[in-house]
Amino acid sequence: MTTSSREHRAPSSDGPTGLLGGESANSYRARWCWDKVTWGTHCLNCLATCPYRVFSLGNEVAFEEQGGTIDPLSAEIPDMNPLGCQKGGAWSLQLKSEDRVLHPLRRVGERGEGRFEQVSWEEALKEIAGAVVDAIDEDGPESVVFEESVEGGLLAQAPFLRLAALLGAVTLDANGLVNDFPTGQHITFGKFSCASTVDDTFCSDLILLWHSNPAYTSIPYHHFISEARYRGSSVVTIAPDYNASAVGSDLFVPVRPGTDAALALSMCHVILAEELADLDFASSQTDLPLLVRTDTGRFLRERDVSRGGSEEVFFVWDASRGPVAASRDSLHLDGLGPSLRGSGTVELADGTSTSVTTVFALMESRLEGYQPELAGQTCGVAASTIRTLARMVASRRCKILEGFNAPKYYHGDLMERSMCLLLALTGNWGRPGTGIQGLALAGLDGYLLFSMKTKGGAEESARVLDGIDQAVASMRERDPDATDEMLGNQLLALAASSGTSAPPVFFNYHHAGYRETWNRSDWSDPSMEHSFDTYFSEAIRRGWWGGVARPAASTPPRVLFSVGTNPLRRSRGGRTKMLDDLWPKLDKVIVVDFRMSATALHADLVLPAAMQYERVNVQYPITHTLRLSFSDAATPPRGDSRTEWQIFSALARAISEEGARRGISEYADARRQTRRLGSLAENFTLGGSFEDEEAVLDEWIRDSAGVGTLPAGTSVDTIRRDGSIRFTGLGIFATGLSLAADVSPSEVMTAFRWHVEKGIPFPTLTRRAQFYVDHPWFIEADEHLPRHKEPPQMGGDRAFALTSGHSRWTVHSISMGNRQLLGTHRGRPLVVMSDPDASRLGIIDGQEVLVSNDHGSFSAMARVTPRVRPGQLIVYNGFEPHMFKDWKGANEVEPGMVKWLHLVGRYGHLRYLPFGWQPVPADRAVFVDVEPCEMTATGKDGGAV
Amino acid sequence: MFTYSLSGLEITASADVPAEVEESETTARSAVYQVLASFFGPVDTEHYDRASRGGWAEEIEKAATLLPYAIDTGPEGLSTEMTLEEYAAERARVFSDPSEEDHLLREATYASEPDAVIPQVTREYDYFGLSTSTSGSRPPDHLVTECDFMQYLCFREAATSSDRLRASYRRAQREFLDRHLGTWASLVAVSVSQRSPKDPFMTGVERLASFVRADLAYVTNLLAA
Repeated sequence: MTTSSREHRAPSSDGPTGLLGGESANSYRARWCWDKVTWGTHCLNCLATCPYRVFSLGNEVAFEEQGGTIDPLSAEIPDMNPLGCQKGGAWSLQLKSEDRVLHPLRRVGERGEGRFEQVSWEEALKEIAGAVVDAIDEDGPESVVFEESVEGGLLAQAPFLRLAALLGAVTLDANGLVNDFPTGQHITFGKFSCASTVDDTFCSDLILLWHSNPAYTSIPYHHFISEARYRGSSVVTIAPDYNASAVGSDLFVPVRPGTDAALALSMCHVILAEELADLDFASSQTDLPLLVRTDTGRFLRERDVSRGGSEEVFFVWDASRGPVAASRDSLHLDGLGPSLRGSGTVELADGTSTSVTTVFALMESRLEGYQPELAGQTCGVAASTIRTLARMVASRRCKILEGFNAPKYYHGDLMERSMCLLLALTGNWGRPGTGIQGLALAGLDGYLLFSMKTKGGAEESARVLDGIDQAVASMRERDPDATDEMLGNQLLALAASSGTSAPPVFFNYHHAGYRETWNRSDWSDPSMEHSFDTYFSEAIRRGWWGGVARPAASTPPRVLFSVGTNPLRRSRGGRTKMLDDLWPKLDKVIVVDFRMSATALHADLVLPAAMQYERVNVQYPITHTLRLSFSDAATPPRGDSRTEWQIFSALARAISEEGARRGISEYADARRQTRRLGSLAENFTLGGSFEDEEAVLDEWIRDSAGVGTLPAGTSVDTIRRDGSIRFTGLGIFATGLSLAADVSPSEVMTAFRWHVEKGIPFPTLTRRAQFYVDHPWFIEADEHLPRHKEPPQMGGDRAFALTSGHSRWTVHSISMGNRQLLGTHRGRPLVVMSDPDASRLGIIDGQEVLVSNDHGSFSAMARVTPRVRPGQLIVYNGFEPHMFKDWKGANEVEPGMVKWLHLVGRYGHLRYLPFGWQPVPADRAVFVDVEPCEMTATGKDGGAV
Repeated sequence: MFTYSLSGLEITASADVPAEVEESETTARSAVYQVLASFFGPVDTEHYDRASRGGWAEEIEKAATLLPYAIDTGPEGLSTEMTLEEYAAERARVFSDPSEEDHLLREATYASEPDAVIPQVTREYDYFGLSTSTSGSRPPDHLVTECDFMQYLCFREAATSSDRLRASYRRAQREFLDRHLGTWASLVAVSVSQRSPKDPFMTGVERLASFVRADLAYVTNLLAA
């Protein structure tokens, strides 16, 4: 939107006018002059997509302010306005930050030495093209590796994913890199997309802030929590530390780090013991009534009782009819009266018989070990508090606001499965104000369609959609009872098996030096009966990761692209490990970023990316706001920076030319598919139809409108005018269907309504919310049912559990160069620790401390506070390694262990889907020691005291 | 059979577009847009001949035979007794300005953000595999071009066997009328009337405005049904 009619406000030339007069007044007023207003959003990995108005004067952005133009859904629900936070409000200052990269840079010294020379785009692209063609020619295209990103918006990601796909390269799955995916939700529900819109929080009577700190991380939405309290809702913070969100809560439950499963299971125990459970809900929605063979510990399957029977038909024990096959096409019981408790005997197909019991009976037995008095000792919560909280959950409309913390624990899956069980027993999903809130991506189907199109336009979209329809129809013929969501998952799995996305666990194992780490039995779960290697090999041998276990061990990585991903700051395992184990194998490390990140400092070539406000963009659409917000080009890109679409289309051209120069016109990729270098550039732009990103975005939006996820007629022009638009649907692909909800223009969107209201099955093996996993590995590990396990001693037998969380001041490291934001906190990394621990160790606030374990060490300033529990250290996420002494950041002490059970595949819903089920590295509850460094506490003058 | 004929747009995509399609309510709509595109095109002897012998009225009446709603197809006001030279001069006086040919026949003339119009309509054409004619100099926001686009969308709707594409073309018609042609067709009539034009131009713009209004209502109802 350009507001040409708005008056250009010139600085006043009047004399002194009160306190702020004369030059000062003029200077201040000049700050607020503009001649153009556009819409902007920041495409950060908070994914909030807050619409801002961006005020520019000439080619400079003057300032921005929150849009506040979102219409309320209804008179009963508070609106989303104004959406925004201090990071977004200070974005324009960052356009001119000192860490901004403005020109293509080539390393001239040793890697990491910090010496670069400015080169032209032509030189840079030619050099990269040469390295890519070398790698393809000598080791195949899978030696070219891209890190997937969720930073920077869809128009930052789409270009390099497109180039990677055309080359047949490898893209490392973003979830495997950042482990935001709630693994336990996937095990339970067959999906991780369980997030309702944030205004659904307002409908809750009881809000559990559990593994989340929304006062820091969800600033734009936090008001719904306060508004729910005004409505009478209770808010409970469950966390090891008394965090900022606890301040506004009615109850604070201080759980010992890593013991949340014990707390949740203990509440389940109370609910069953006091007969508070909603057993009808649990019987209908979950696998709790399903029968389990007592001889094998496996579900009773149709194959067991009749020859030629199905492996995926399960049984319940009907009170009057005995064992009856559970419906596969509906969760509704339809007259069945499944017995939850008890056991019986079943005749098997081979003429023998076996006794069976129910999942519920097994669960009830397991919960006996979680009586509040016992579990309270484990999790550090008083038995009376556990009982009080359990009764609250059982009697109210309860929602768990989870965030992305739990998946980062080694046993985060067990915590989440236990939390889901708590909701299952109390009827708390599929109704407004209930459920567990993680993350859900959905809505912009045009983005997904684009990669399937061979040319632009409506007709091509129809062709692609017709093809999808045919594929789905064919799948449905094979499985007539499958839901649309299940078929969508099958399509996604099919696409993944021929796509470029690969879980990073294989890359890290073979090429980045993690094999040795992961085989450390002293850092692993003690219940593992074999070495990590043994499980890893078994998973590969059985073909559980067929098609996606890439690159192969025999394919050395040669070229690494990082587009805003910053692996040296982020990687669990640490910068030192990456530099020691991976970097020497790489011919070329290419970083595309707008700022000089830790990874850029160690790159061979750094390509300057345009920032938001300098280019058009949209962020990943998530269901939190259910909105697509537009970021316009308010000014031209600074310096020589370019958009990623420009960069990667030019690189495609350069690679084509380099291939032609060397006489390499085509090659076979690892799947023996022929790739053509000669037409790379043309294919990138679909024959020249998409030379610029605005055309691409327009196509995404129009196609999304075409399939009904955006209002009919939406285009880049309408969103440029309106700034932000609410989705009208969640989409036709698996990500949208997994929400199992309709979108109404006047109601909050509550996930899982279809499951509860329509009885549509879950996409799990049993087609129910599944708490029993009868996979042999899970049984061996005694994790076939939810349970508590202590976090393994990752890093060694040390005294402190190190945890983390997103800070209030930056989204990851993006704003670490923003002086305004740095000035709102201490501006440097902190090790937050408790008073008693500090006192015992002789550490004072502001003192430099050394944090160490068997994996590594780092030092930072101690922040001593009573809000952290003894035995816990917190280092908030986002600080760059070069903000620490010796450039060693907090990830130096994180071994990056992955849980072996997550290598299970091809078990119902436990199979790889992009951004879904896969092993992810843990970084919470790493064990460390802390000690004072030399007395170098910083004095008022900045010197040592 | 109805045959489409574009004068302001060219097909760029390698779409399998049939040359003709059986006549229907939808081709009738396409045909009316086709006649209107010709009417507001440049004056030549053929154009003048139609005007002088009442041919425009005949063409509209023929095109509208199967139209699913009523429009004025009477001959009144659609012929002229002017000479060819007078006729051409009158057209220029009515629609053009000294600074710009066909000034009143361009959407940008009526838009609050004139610079935004051409990129916007061009994106519409692109998405449906069309580009503005390279052989002529008619701008993308010209009335003829926009009528051509509507003609094409209606034709494709009639020609396609795909329900999905039919819906897509139909939605596109509504949005284009709602956002572009429908927003300014009536303004042309108002602006032209201030220049006291002779017929057939005054009647032409009035017929255009009422047809576009009726067509928008029709498509809107069709989509709502």
